Amino acid sequence: MKLGSALPILGTLLAAAVGLSCADIAAPGRSDVYEWRFITSTGPGTTDTLSFHWPRSMLPLKIWSQDTLDFPNHVAHAIDVWKAAFLYREFDAVLVPDSNAADVIVLADSPAKLPVAAARLELNLAPECEGGTDIVPLPGSRTIQYPVRVFLLPRFDPATPGVSECLALTATHELGHAMGIFTHSSVATDIMYVDPIVSELSERDVGTIERAYHVQPNVTVPVH
Amino acid sequence: MRVLLALLCVWPAAGVSVARAQTDYYARLGVTFATDLVSDNIVQDIVTRQSLAPTLAFGVSFPIAPAYSAGLETAFSSSGYHSTEADLDTDLGTLATGSVLLNLEGPIRHRASWRAGLGLISYLPSENSGIFLAGGTTRFLAGAGFDYRPPLLTHWDLMVSLRYDFHRFSTNELDRRGFTGSQGVQRVSLSLGLARARVPR
Repeated sequence: MKLGSALPILGTLLAAAVGLSCADIAAPGRSDVYEWRFITSTGPGTTDTLSFHWPRSMLPLKIWSQDTLDFPNHVAHAIDVWKAAFLYREFDAVLVPDSNAADVIVLADSPAKLPVAAARLELNLAPECEGGTDIVPLPGSRTIQYPVRVFLLPRFDPATPGVSECLALTATHELGHAMGIFTHSSVATDIMYVDPIVSELSERDVGTIERAYHVQPNVTVPVH
Repeated sequence: MRVLLALLCVWPAAGVSVARAQTDYYARLGVTFATDLVSDNIVQDIVTRQSLAPTLAFGVSFPIAPAYSAGLETAFSSSGYHSTEADLDTDLGTLATGSVLLNLEGPIRHRASWRAGLGLISYLPSENSGIFLAGGTTRFLAGAGFDYRPPLLTHWDLMVSLRYDFHRFSTNELDRRGFTGSQGVQRVSLSLGLARARVPR
């Protein structure tokens, strides 16, 4: 092969070499996250930090929703919102028709009516509706409460303006707890704020759930 | 972009009457290996890569000088893609690519020839999710390769091809997430095919 005819080949290799010499893609820092783990006192001056995420072997997570007040649509939207937070399929969930086969059960009931469990998450109290999630291990346990129960209930007539929107964002908030965000954000623009007012995830929500699903959990799902 | 790729695929297969006697066309089937698409770090390093991909290519070229031709080559590949974090592999679905290269071709010796060109590559994920949540992407592509064409039939040669190409990869979703720059992706393919004999025997 003459040198002249090799020029296009050499040109391509040169272009590749120039391209390869450029810096590769750089990932964002993802440093703006909030505490998602459950930190509980275990005695004078000692604490225990509990973290959890659903193991990939259990995905897609099976969620059953009571068929009332448009709950199935609210939960389906919440699943889509949280799935979109991940780049590498760390989480997936589907709605199932039978609660007997579900990992998470969404009920139209008030969490306030249930027996108070010390480790249960604080209620979220958006104005038009309320919600709660029972997932955090009971004292002394290293397993979540399974199946996870999520409670949603309007505080006014369901036809009242704002109630449906409140149920939708509260479903997203509670599913965040059911996925392993055990605590609340202190920033009102996060969906995991104690009294959420936004309907979509913030960058902090996304960064936090990504981090939660890449940290080795010390709480597991009980054998079932 | 998809329409363009479809046209470029059908065009050589359908035959073109212009300078038909001198038109060179071929089809090849092989496999393509690609380097990492994305390198990330969330607590640990995570890399995303396309699996070894079956590849189908069509090409057509016309003489532009006694020993040189110019041509278009389209290639389609489809395979799974996955992320790897420590020792955990996660299947991310199916990823197809379509590329078109405008090539310059020339002889080496005997039945061997070289080619080099510039073009575009499109990534077409089966599902808009993860790094492709905001859809696929189209990038500039530079490629080169060698062909060896021993005679097979009266009007057809066997074609053994080695290809190398390079592009820089990113997606709208990665940009939206705050990733900066792009990832250099190199691909190598090896394929076998049939080419219309340049000189009928």
